[in-house]
Amino acid sequence: MATFSTSADRSWKDPAHEPKTVDYTSNVLQIFMEGLDRQPPGQVLDLGPVCQENIRFFARRVKRLYVCDMFIRLERCLSKGNPVSQILQELDCPPESFDGILLWELADRLENTEVRRLAKLCHTILKPGGMAVVLVLGEQTARFGVNSFVVGQDFKVSLRPQSHLNLPMRGRQHRDILAIMSPLKLAKTFICRLGFMEFLFKRE
Amino acid sequence: MLKKNKKGNTDTASSHVLAPVDGKTIVGEQIIIDGTIRGKEDLLIEGSVKGRIEIETHHLTVGPRGQVEAEIQAANVTISGRLVGNVNTTGTVKITKEADFNGEIKAKSISVEDGAYLKAVIEMEREPEKKTVTVVKPEEKSASEPAKEPFAMTGKSSKRN
Repeated sequence: MATFSTSADRSWKDPAHEPKTVDYTSNVLQIFMEGLDRQPPGQVLDLGPVCQENIRFFARRVKRLYVCDMFIRLERCLSKGNPVSQILQELDCPPESFDGILLWELADRLENTEVRRLAKLCHTILKPGGMAVVLVLGEQTARFGVNSFVVGQDFKVSLRPQSHLNLPMRGRQHRDILAIMSPLKLAKTFICRLGFMEFLFKRE
Repeated sequence: MLKKNKKGNTDTASSHVLAPVDGKTIVGEQIIIDGTIRGKEDLLIEGSVKGRIEIETHHLTVGPRGQVEAEIQAANVTISGRLVGNVNTTGTVKITKEADFNGEIKAKSISVEDGAYLKAVIEMEREPEKKTVTVVKPEEKSASEPAKEPFAMTGKSSKRN
């Protein structure tokens, strides 16, 4: 099971305080990278939020890293009152383009209809055997707002608040994610305390 | 067309941009260039440039008001404005939170501020191959994938539109 350290325990008890550090060790990211390392250098798509540490981390490990920050696009789309489906048009990629897609917690920020479209799109643009990483923060963690997931050494992940992003959180359960992401096959899932969940999906 | 700064002498066309720095050429806000810029000094763009920029050993800055659609070759690049195109550097690419970038980056290192509006393909020097412990069942993979370009780098997704 993934470990979830509580260096922000004080913050959990007092919602008025933002977490200073919330760290966990990601098993899913480790499996994701190990899967990529076994193949010839491939292409990975990161859907944001933009984070320079992750750009460096992944760009040095894959052939080409594609970054399309869907969180900031969603924020702008919602603030303008535009249909959310617009942002999916940004992922105008040919089928079977990627060996991996990092969705982070995007699925928990979209309505069911859009997540289903996103899942279908991921299935299309992933190569056979390609992997997708999905996270769900859980209400305890998500109340602090949108975070980027800063990947560090040994797959230790720190959550960094993104104050410029104000997005709704759907608070999906484990079974909801499995149902919504059904075009892809679940490869691994880890449930941590505080409602935090990690999923690794694969295209068969 | 290009405004060259001299110490203590800020010309009127470029006085509305950043503070003058020695040895830096400024393309002012009201300037539009369509073509190729080649040079051997640092360049700050606050106007509009379309074409190619070749300053292989120097620093290119696209300022907050800059609008650039170009193929870029520079030692280092800082992006704070809108840039559509491919950036090829031997050094660092810095993208600030005001930036709107759509294109490809080849660089030795990269720094990106949270909040930057990015749609990018990034190629950096890869780490040496690591041997890893197998966790998931191995799969057969073709060693030679056909070259594809997943993103259409058209610049149509600008936040300023």
